[in-house]
Amino acid sequence: MTDRTAAPAIDFRGVTKSFRLPDGKTLTALTDTSLSVGKGEFVALLGPSGCGKSTLLRLVAGLEAPSSGAVAVEGRAPEELVKAHRLGIAFQEHALLPWLTVRQNIELPFRIAGRPVMRERVQGLINLVGLAGFEAARPKQLSGGMRQRVAIARSLVLEPEILLLDEPFGALDAVTRRQMNVELQRIWSESRISTLLVTHAVEEALFLADRVIVLSGRPGKVVRTLEVPFARPRHPDVMRTAQFHQLVDELTETLHPTDGAGH
Amino acid sequence: MSQSATANGPARPSLVGRIGRTLLNFWGIALILVLWEALVVLNDFNVIVMPRPWAVFADIWANPGLYLQNFMQTAWVAMGGLVLGMIAGTTIAVLAWSSRILNGLLTPIGLIFSSIPVVAMIPVLARMLGYGTETVLAIVAILSFFPFFVFTGSGLKLLPAGSADLFSVFGAKKHQRLFHLALPSALPNWTVALRLASANAILGAMVAEFLMGTSGLGQMLHAASQAFNTERALGASVCATIGSVTLFVLVVSLEARVRERWT
Ligand SMILES: Nc1ncnc2c1ncn2[C@@H]1O[C@H](COP(=O)(O)OP(=O)(O)OP(=O)(O)O)[C@@H](O)[C@H]1O
Ligand SMILES: [Mg+2]
Repeated sequence: MTDRTAAPAIDFRGVTKSFRLPDGKTLTALTDTSLSVGKGEFVALLGPSGCGKSTLLRLVAGLEAPSSGAVAVEGRAPEELVKAHRLGIAFQEHALLPWLTVRQNIELPFRIAGRPVMRERVQGLINLVGLAGFEAARPKQLSGGMRQRVAIARSLVLEPEILLLDEPFGALDAVTRRQMNVELQRIWSESRISTLLVTHAVEEALFLADRVIVLSGRPGKVVRTLEVPFARPRHPDVMRTAQFHQLVDELTETLHPTDGAGH
Repeated sequence: MSQSATANGPARPSLVGRIGRTLLNFWGIALILVLWEALVVLNDFNVIVMPRPWAVFADIWANPGLYLQNFMQTAWVAMGGLVLGMIAGTTIAVLAWSSRILNGLLTPIGLIFSSIPVVAMIPVLARMLGYGTETVLAIVAILSFFPFFVFTGSGLKLLPAGSADLFSVFGAKKHQRLFHLALPSALPNWTVALRLASANAILGAMVAEFLMGTSGLGQMLHAASQAFNTERALGASVCATIGSVTLFVLVVSLEARVRERWT
């Protein structure tokens, strides 16, 4: 299912990103980072807060330019993919437009791309994310989880080649979050888009991804890559297995090293 | 669809119902009028010093044609000026938004222009446009320009969180950003400008008419006070107040509607 022989979907070669701060100092968010996401691969990016995960995603989306190194998406510059409307993205803050209904929010990418709205596709996605019956609702009438589902439906509506998810469930409670993970797994399994997911949650990364990449604290750098051994389709029950728990512990240890005094 | 009730807010009272309720809020004014009437009658004041409210209403009742004609004149000029100021203020705010160079040029000019007191502008404008309706129209337009320019200008930048990045990733062009994002975002602010400008439109028209003695309620007020006809002077003011309050109530209900949908 994962084809890593062709040009990778996302390719980072020795990327460094520094920001110039207003006081004249520079802040290095990412340093000499190399990673790649294969075609049809789901990669999760874990790392402590402020280590540059969002910055990495924004580099892929062409919202920032690298200070040094190269970012290639489908072997081209990110801007080209953006211009061709081949990139789907969902942010932590859902970024829905409050004056549009659920349906209009999901249709928006068609209008911006200047393409005729494919009504069946929009309706299909609304059903897929479990929002049938809420087509005419406005974002403020929805719960936090429902808003994130709208944002995810919107990111998928143009059938993107690359999907970028920046902590889409970060603001949700643990129970809703787990439920959303199960739904995202089901949705993703139907399309198998090359996906890069940023998250804080180790369980989320392991349950969803083919591969988990761990970044160090700022400035961010790849410190660990883990191939997730669970076969697809994944039933939520894998999260109860001993192997899952052991991998969670391992990754948590990489993220926040204790001083050897484990339990 | 079956749950479309979730998409509609609670039933709103009708427009007539709301105006009725607003008028009920004016019982305090009715009380003042009664006390005033009693004060004048009991103390036997000279009508030139202080007329009876009853005499003011009697004068309006006796000369409906005169009042109506002047009221329509002032109302027409006030509405026309409001619409001109609205078009100019909104257009210039959009132009300033669209380019940094235009912004650097237009914003200072707009601010300087708006800080000149109207009273100082009247003689200059009257010399340029003549002592007629055109000058009154121009003055109301200038008065209305400022709120539309300032509030639309700031509203165009009040975008929902993350939406600017979202539009970049969609590959949106400048005009798409304007029509799909910036203008809708500015609408709540724009209605605030409409409220502020409407509150001043009739007053501004009257002041101009008063100072130039051309036509309308302002001229009526001017002529009446020259002739020590205090009832008529107050009658003109009552008409202006009724016009202002009606306009204000309509605009506030529009503003509430926009706010309800936008937040
Ligand atoms: N535009 C910017 N200007 C200046 N500094 C920035 C900018 N964007 C990000 N940074 C800095 O870069 C560092 C990494 O930010 P980033 O948002 O990528 O972290 P993150 O890993 O996504 O954190 P979190 O998990 O909390 O979301 C932070 O220290 C942040 O302050
Ligand atoms: Mg982040």
